Amino acid sequence: MSALPNKQPFDAGRAAYLALNVALLFFLLAPIVIVLVFALNPTPYISFPPVGVSLRWFDKFFGSAEFMNALWLSLWVAGCVLVLSILIGGASALALARGNLPGRAFLTAFFMSPLMLPAILTGLALFQSYLLIGIGRPVWGLIMAHTLVAVPYVIRTTLAVLHNFDRRIEEAAAVLGASPVRVFFEVTLPLIRPGVFAGGVFAFIVSFDQFPVSLFLVVPKGETLPVVLFNYMKFDLDGAIAAASMVSILLALSVVLVLERLIGLKAYVKL
Amino acid sequence: MAVDGVTLDIAAGEFFSLLGPSGCGKTTSLRMIAGFELPDSGRVHVGGRDITDLPVHRRDMGMVFQSYALFPHRTVAENVAFGLRMREVPRPEIGRRVKAALAQVALTGLEERRPGQLSGGQQQRVALARALVVEPPVLLCDEPLGALDRKLRQQMQFELKELQKRLGVTLVFVTHDQEEALAMSDRIAVMNRGRVEQVGAPTEIYERPRTRFVADFIGEINILEEAGQARALRPEKIRLVSVSDARVAGTVETANFLGGSTLYRVRAADGRSLLVRETHAGERAPRGTGDAVGLTWNDSDAVKLES
Repeated sequence: MSALPNKQPFDAGRAAYLALNVALLFFLLAPIVIVLVFALNPTPYISFPPVGVSLRWFDKFFGSAEFMNALWLSLWVAGCVLVLSILIGGASALALARGNLPGRAFLTAFFMSPLMLPAILTGLALFQSYLLIGIGRPVWGLIMAHTLVAVPYVIRTTLAVLHNFDRRIEEAAAVLGASPVRVFFEVTLPLIRPGVFAGGVFAFIVSFDQFPVSLFLVVPKGETLPVVLFNYMKFDLDGAIAAASMVSILLALSVVLVLERLIGLKAYVKL
Repeated sequence: MAVDGVTLDIAAGEFFSLLGPSGCGKTTSLRMIAGFELPDSGRVHVGGRDITDLPVHRRDMGMVFQSYALFPHRTVAENVAFGLRMREVPRPEIGRRVKAALAQVALTGLEERRPGQLSGGQQQRVALARALVVEPPVLLCDEPLGALDRKLRQQMQFELKELQKRLGVTLVFVTHDQEEALAMSDRIAVMNRGRVEQVGAPTEIYERPRTRFVADFIGEINILEEAGQARALRPEKIRLVSVSDARVAGTVETANFLGGSTLYRVRAADGRSLLVRETHAGERAPRGTGDAVGLTWNDSDAVKLES
């Protein structure tokens, strides 16, 4: 079939809709483009139009032991937060949705509360608590703090899946001879997994980009990438910051893509 | 939804229906047999064995749900294989039996599809194959045909009945559709408000309803009150005769032509309203609104109801 040229009269609503979409895309993508231009521009300050293309800021970023240590620490912390928040968030969501707990609405709000508190207050409060109980600022303390902020994301996405869950499917498995444990691993878990992992992606990114909470809980020589970048910016503002930002963006994106490939988030996170 | 004092004795190999309006306790009763609900008192026996304290997964039953409840993340073949896998049947045998079960419900060739890629009727068949492949002595069906359109439902009624007889499985069938229950069952238990009103063969339930509820729930009925005794009279048991030969004279209020028969609403001289069904086996003498008619019936067809 050949498509006939579609001559439609000018439609103001459609034009407005298109304009809105273009504007949204522009505001989403423009900062990334600016960062990219800044990262590739050889001058040590933001200049427009760019005077050339160079990788010197990437060289500087990857060549700096300080940046690299911070990057690895951030990845390590975010990886731990991903695993912990999936376990804690997934289990909590199951308990909240299925457990017939008294005061369920209150408990749900309580579990979600880290989202409502300004992160800087969470950081400060944890800092003081850690000092009071005398544990100092260990890496696992940082991981716990990030997990606290990240778990609500996993709970949210898992609850959403559980909300639409047809429990007859589990009953069907039970009648067919599956013990409660087998029902969980054969039916429940595979069906809620996409929701859990979608939350896990958020958890990873929340931790990897976390600044306000980390600010209080890192120690010198043990700072995460956002904190190192912030400190660096106080004294230098050159392309290394932009290069670091590009690396962060690409890392976050690749985590999303890898998880999407592995477990098919497609139905839950449209890419 | 509670059930109260329900006693059912279901014979092996029988097609037994629990029939009633929503909320009558039919599904609760079925779920007690399956083990999803526990009775406060009373026991569940199968083949002389008390299974009341057995958990669901040890009861060795088959069950088909109205929503089918297929595993959406597994293929058709994996769905059907599930029960065999749980029973640790060796793999080659699983393959063989899954194939046979799918052939039985005419689904050969769809093994690798996912439930989401199947039509409602096909999903229904997968659910049936999944339940039957483990050769359960008892198959429980919770409104399994409720989600299908009329034509397909009728076809599946025949198929299910035939399959049940061929396999000799005891089938407990929950439905709110009286036609379906009448058409398929060996025996029916009519339930209302958590109690069993009557148990009997379809003809018995239809022709000899014991209570007002049963008479009213199944088909059309006239309830005649005579000297404090209620009697049930089916519309097709009333004959249209000349006014001089009639027990009751009246005028036709409405006449609904139904194809094979016509259902009249007749206002009797004493003010009662009666339903009369005239079947069109012989010559048809149509009567219209306002026509004077005479009605008569045999005493034996007016069934006494318990008060």
